[in-house]
Amino acid sequence: MGAFYCAICRQTSFSGKAHIFGKSHQSKLKVVLVKFLEKVKEARRTIKTPQVEKYDCTQHQRRFWCYCCGVEVERDVTDGNLTVLFGGLLEHMATPEHRKGTHAFWWENKADPKLKGKFIVTEEESERFKTEVAKALESFEEKEDELIKQQATLIRAREQHRQEVLQSLTEPETELEPSNSQDPCSSVEEPSSSHVRTPGSNEQAGHGRVDRMVATQWAGPGKGLTFIGYQDLSNSGNVHTGAIPPWLQEEPQEGGSRATEQEIGPSLQDFLKQKEQEKLKKLPPNRVGANFDHSSQTDANWLPSFGRVWNSGRRWQSRHQFREEEGQTNKRKRKRDHRSDETKKPTLTNNEHN
Amino acid sequence: MSLFLPKLSCKKDIDEVIKTVAEKVLVLRFGRDEDSVCLQLDEILSKTSHDLSNMASIYIVDVDSAPVYTRYFDISYIPSTVFFFNGQHMKVDYGSPDHTKFVGSFKTKQDFMDLIEVIYRGAMRGKMIVQSPIDPQNIPKYDLLYHGI
Repeated sequence: MGAFYCAICRQTSFSGKAHIFGKSHQSKLKVVLVKFLEKVKEARRTIKTPQVEKYDCTQHQRRFWCYCCGVEVERDVTDGNLTVLFGGLLEHMATPEHRKGTHAFWWENKADPKLKGKFIVTEEESERFKTEVAKALESFEEKEDELIKQQATLIRAREQHRQEVLQSLTEPETELEPSNSQDPCSSVEEPSSSHVRTPGSNEQAGHGRVDRMVATQWAGPGKGLTFIGYQDLSNSGNVHTGAIPPWLQEEPQEGGSRATEQEIGPSLQDFLKQKEQEKLKKLPPNRVGANFDHSSQTDANWLPSFGRVWNSGRRWQSRHQFREEEGQTNKRKRKRDHRSDETKKPTLTNNEHN
Repeated sequence: MSLFLPKLSCKKDIDEVIKTVAEKVLVLRFGRDEDSVCLQLDEILSKTSHDLSNMASIYIVDVDSAPVYTRYFDISYIPSTVFFFNGQHMKVDYGSPDHTKFVGSFKTKQDFMDLIEVIYRGAMRGKMIVQSPIDPQNIPKYDLLYHGI
């Protein structure tokens, strides 16, 4: 006598083994055996035709509890790549330890002896299973190889198709635009073949070309720009040398056209100007050109910026050079005129350094 | 041109536009209509012109029609884009050797819009040269060979 824990009832009984013959124990035992039997039956079905599958980590590492041995056993056998379903179960059941355990279990719990046989896998059965497994593995590998070959041919066919489409697209283009940058176009074809998503439609050839042109532009931005030659600087200056901008150079035609324009609807013009001025009042007062006098007359010496982008050194030195180039005597004459006129003429505030 | 941007065909027109466009950034694209990079740039300009209509006026100039301007701005590569505000030529530091104009096309419409906004804000605060907000990688590269040197 003494404390005795029954694993099936999950209870401790102090009345010895008498409870085994009781109703509750037997009913629980039946339930347990039925469940266990289901699993074993499924495993037995695969003895004749073992199932080999690719290893799936979510499903192929299930374990089950062998009631006979009181041990947790892996259901499937796997080597990382392939699994034999129920292999583990069958292997375990073939072991002699399991047989002993099963016998002990039946003796202890007084279960139905007819069922005992199903829970043990005999040696013949295990031999047969092993041979079947070997065959199944071979056939599985053959199937895998076939699949791989099929996929390879499919990929090759697709690649071939793509190449043909590319060639057919570039041939008409070489006839149309020989002068355009052809080398970057053809050299970028290989990596941009992935851009050609809809092969086989020639209507989209032009559109595809523009896309590729865009692609080539940002592959090498400097290559795409058209060069229109050096601009002749000998006669007139440049924005870099600080010459007079063309819009401030007076034209012989300007005076006549201005007179005719002003005659047309002055009152309307005044009205619109008034509206504009109201808008201007709302703008920030220190913006560039806020005090730009649109009505002032400009002369040749309007711009004081001497350019000299490429020089280092003081601004005074570039100013000095600019004056020398203008000619000392002319400068002196203009200076005299300026001094007399300064009070009358309005000038821009940024324009003071004379 | 066919993208609904107004075109200027002679020096007089350009002069007038520079002198009369007030309180907005004036964008002049110098180039040729058939050139592929000019076409890209024109597309970006026309698509953004409506959105930027309060900040900027955009005009197209053919580089062969106004040789005075081509010489003055030393335009050697097309397209070149020049910016003005209230009759004042705006310079922008793009990280390239020439600050007086933008050479090439923009990579995205957003780049162009950012640039216009920076120029507008700088001009409103009295700056005549501003820093470009465009990533230097997206600025087209070219060789600037100064003829005088």
